[in-house]
Amino acid sequence: MKILVITEQRQGKWNNASFETLVAAQQIAADAGSNVSAVVVGKGVGNFAEDAAAKNIGAVLLVEHDLLEAYTPDGYCVALSQVIQFAKPDLVLFPHTYQVRDFAPKLAAMLGKGMIADCVGFHKEGEKIVFVRQMFQGKTVADVTFQGAAPWFASFQSGAFRADLLTAHPSGKAPINKVSVVLKPEQIRTKPLELFKEAKSAVDLTQAPIIISVGRGIKAPENIPQAEALAKAIGGEMAASRPICDEGWLPMERQIGSSGQTVAPKLYLALGISGAIQHVVGMKGARTIVAINKDQNAPIFEIADYGIVGDIFEMMPALTAAVEKAKT
Amino acid sequence: MTVQREQLEADVLIVGAGPAGLSCALHLANLIKKHNEAGGKSTGSPLSAENIYVLEKGREVGAHQLSGAIMNPKALAELVPDFKTTAPLDIPVTDDAALFFAKNSSVRFPLTPAPFKNKGNYVISLNKLVKWMGGLVEAAGVNLFTQFGGASLIYEGDGIAGVITDDKGVDKNGKPKDNFTPGYELRAKVTVLAEGTRGSLTKQLVEKKNLANINPQTYGLGIKELWDVQPDRIKPGFVAHTLGWPVSTDMYGGGWIYGLANNRVSIGLVVALEYANPQFDPHTAFQMWKTHPFLKKILDGGKLVRYGAKSLPYGGWYAMPKNYLDGGLIVGDSGGFLDSQRLKGIHLAIKSGILAAETIFEALKTGDCSSKTLSAFPQKVEQSYIKKELWEVRNFHQSFQHGLYAGLFQTGLQFISGGRGLIDPMRSHEGYRVYKKLSRDSANQTTHTEPERFKGDGKLTFDRLTDVYHSGTRHEEDQPCHLIVRDLNVCATKCVVEYGNPCQYFCPAAVYEMAKDANGKSRLKINAANCVHCKTCDIADPYQIIDWVVPEGGGGPNYEGM
Amino acid sequence: MKIIVCIKQVPAKDAPLSIAGNWIKESDIGFEMNEPDSYALEEALRLKEKHGGEVVALSMGPERVKQTIKEALAKGADRGIHIANDQFAQLDPLGAARVIAEALRKENADLILTGLQSDDHGFGQTGVLVAALLDLPHATIIMQIEVQDKNMRLKRELEAGWFQHIECPLPAVLSIQSGINKVRYATLKGIMAAKKKEIAVIAADSFGAKSEPTQKIAKIYVPAKTKKTEFLTGTPSEMATKLVEKLKFDARVI
Repeated sequence: MKILVITEQRQGKWNNASFETLVAAQQIAADAGSNVSAVVVGKGVGNFAEDAAAKNIGAVLLVEHDLLEAYTPDGYCVALSQVIQFAKPDLVLFPHTYQVRDFAPKLAAMLGKGMIADCVGFHKEGEKIVFVRQMFQGKTVADVTFQGAAPWFASFQSGAFRADLLTAHPSGKAPINKVSVVLKPEQIRTKPLELFKEAKSAVDLTQAPIIISVGRGIKAPENIPQAEALAKAIGGEMAASRPICDEGWLPMERQIGSSGQTVAPKLYLALGISGAIQHVVGMKGARTIVAINKDQNAPIFEIADYGIVGDIFEMMPALTAAVEKAKT
Repeated sequence: MTVQREQLEADVLIVGAGPAGLSCALHLANLIKKHNEAGGKSTGSPLSAENIYVLEKGREVGAHQLSGAIMNPKALAELVPDFKTTAPLDIPVTDDAALFFAKNSSVRFPLTPAPFKNKGNYVISLNKLVKWMGGLVEAAGVNLFTQFGGASLIYEGDGIAGVITDDKGVDKNGKPKDNFTPGYELRAKVTVLAEGTRGSLTKQLVEKKNLANINPQTYGLGIKELWDVQPDRIKPGFVAHTLGWPVSTDMYGGGWIYGLANNRVSIGLVVALEYANPQFDPHTAFQMWKTHPFLKKILDGGKLVRYGAKSLPYGGWYAMPKNYLDGGLIVGDSGGFLDSQRLKGIHLAIKSGILAAETIFEALKTGDCSSKTLSAFPQKVEQSYIKKELWEVRNFHQSFQHGLYAGLFQTGLQFISGGRGLIDPMRSHEGYRVYKKLSRDSANQTTHTEPERFKGDGKLTFDRLTDVYHSGTRHEEDQPCHLIVRDLNVCATKCVVEYGNPCQYFCPAAVYEMAKDANGKSRLKINAANCVHCKTCDIADPYQIIDWVVPEGGGGPNYEGM
Repeated sequence: MKIIVCIKQVPAKDAPLSIAGNWIKESDIGFEMNEPDSYALEEALRLKEKHGGEVVALSMGPERVKQTIKEALAKGADRGIHIANDQFAQLDPLGAARVIAEALRKENADLILTGLQSDDHGFGQTGVLVAALLDLPHATIIMQIEVQDKNMRLKRELEAGWFQHIECPLPAVLSIQSGINKVRYATLKGIMAAKKKEIAVIAADSFGAKSEPTQKIAKIYVPAKTKKTEFLTGTPSEMATKLVEKLKFDARVI
């Protein structure tokens, strides 16, 4: 089976989910005796191609064009459809990023194919690859299979695979093949302007990969900075159960639960949260759940992967220190 | 905040799309249709079903409807003659048992006492029935608005002239949000209050216009769970009512177990909100009742589907308020149309709606919607089976003021004297007057131990929060609190000493909590979003300082299948 | 401007899910407008208020979706299109988009708006696919729209707090980010007026759109918790170190 992985970079930096997708491709390939190629798209992105070529993959396809310097859905779709027609892959994989959401379904449709998006994993049933994706906001998962002939298109959710499992190329470097594409200015209908950063006015917890959540156990608003410090160290967003937001100790937008947001992050750390059903329905789709609570009978432990029966006021600083230490 | 309101005018405005309100709307629409088809005339503009407006505060019709329920079909048969084939009646009653529970055993009464006989009646889901009725009402051309509550009455002259609907998009501090939409000034020639038990507008109106009867209205609280059970645990159509454990003899109450079709079971416990121990917890009693072997056998291995609670007006004939005034009528539970002996109110609600419709029809034709014309309503009630049924049991509930045995004695006598009994009318007090003060002399006294909060085992019994989740209740979070406690200081200073803050115990939805703030001071915390609109707090608060007002329309429970 | 909003009706957010094969049991649950689509509808109504024109609410599904279309009409949409399809829940994203694209082709809308994704299937592809099928430019995760004649200036959201402005010509298809506006309430007058507004009903198979599915949902299930809760012990700093190790190397989430 031939697999193409469309990688992503922006403003001179890799989107690391690209490596996770390469790992996914390797795992699918390992089972099916195939080869994996990474596709690098842009202008002046030769160094990214070199990075990719150093990994344990079959080849890198370097697709460069003036009109691909800035991302546009039209540009990427026209270019990549030519790449696919050239490379004739069976499977085209993407990391499920905002950018991929913007163009990948169209790319597939241009070739008359469908895309299975935002998958959290896969398994094999004989020859068939069965993709697994979440439905009902993480309350359930679904097994999805392709119908019809290749090429097939799929994207993987960030964190579904471990980027560090990507080993180095055994002989040092995979071949880099330049693929030329034809792209005319009139084919690109939208004009991308400058990128800019803004302090996010609205909190979108549904996109946060790591969430640190506090419940009644936090006792007072003065204690929240301890949790915030941990969140900062671990790179997570703050969230809370109902009572905390009701009191105004954290804004309403950070509420998780049946009357707040439903999230399914990679990691959900529940501090001093009892696990009442109203809260649990908002987060039990999380990939890994860690619960810290004084009460060993707290219902939250029933859904936790890791549990600590302990005092959150001792654990928060200890964890913050441990996380900082692990970074070094 | 002073607000510019849009005005709308209807001929008839019905507040509440429950069985009473919808029956009124449907029957009136039918009368108008027949009238127009026969070329009938009226003074003023022609009559049309489109000028009947029904307001429903729930997200959809039926969302706030909860009852056991067993329905006597006689009233529905009048309203919808082909109901047997078109109405969603779950199952006819096949067996009715009266059971007496002791802690671990039960005894079935050899003869089911007359009030518990249900031959010819149906076990139904009131939610499904009302949803179906709503469909008929809309098909008849009536304007049915869901997610709109009647926030306040428009008073005019000696009577009422309509309602102001709820303001939407107000934040929790009372300030308008971006999508602020003020309520309408909805005027009508006749306004029908069909708000159900302890209606908020009805409460105001009864007080303002002195409509109360010789006895105050008294209430019970019914707490219900709907379960899907393993096959063959209970026969569809099996109806049982239980007396005894865990309701002590100085309290009035009992349970019900109804077998629906498809292995679904409706169970619940009702207690009168007239008990001495202010820290009695009806929800806990209900959970304990489920552990009785009789219930356990049925529920074991089953799954909780839904939870809910609602109060019921128990007062009977002498507690029904005056139900007519200039431009207004009161029907259904709001008007106390409930037979507390037979525990049936649906057919009386429907019948009251039908009679109100007939009254209004005449009023609209003549253009006279004053109390003079509308007084035909109570007259019709007087001549109907509503009076006949309620008259017989007019002193029933009041008989139990002094306990179960005194009650049985009194009602036995009433049974053989057409309801008269020893004392007629039997006077009673509001339920909250029955509380006995705790033996405490200060807020910090520790000799009185607080009742332990029930945790439940998560399979057969549940803690309150888990149950509330299964009521499907939700409200827009950022809105003013709809539970208005007129003096919050009372809670942490006076009430805690005298009654131990009963709101924490009688509310079946975990709305009220006494929380300690950072300084260790106690204060009342109101989780308004949990509210299931049962009105218990408004009824049972010992100081009567809680006013339940209608929250932003659309909020409240989701009683699908209840 | 003629703006068409594609709105999906989904099971109510708190409805207890009863899985039946590759979908859920539809009896005994409520349905409501997909929340992300309500923001798209609100955006459309605001654009109409600013630039005049017409807002059309489109939805595909069985008879019950008419209720959601009526809600859109009550809020101010001018007319509705119901693509009748009892098997809608079984359609793959491309299949659904094909039908929608055909229904919209002759409408010649200036703008087609969708929400980001649905709360049930969550495919998140409809807008992009409709644009591809109608050969229209598109943009996704849009936070702001400014219209000037036949052009738009859009603000698009990227990851990690980054944003981008894009210029896009009309006609186009946009998928709207959730939470960008405060959705309006339907008023009593709006609800009454909605009764008189047209909802055109078209059968889904009347377009002759290609119908072979590109993918199939084999089954839906609740992910089984394969691990039992692993409780950590020791002093706080011991437990902290152990936990960080497990999160880094076992669970691989940090």
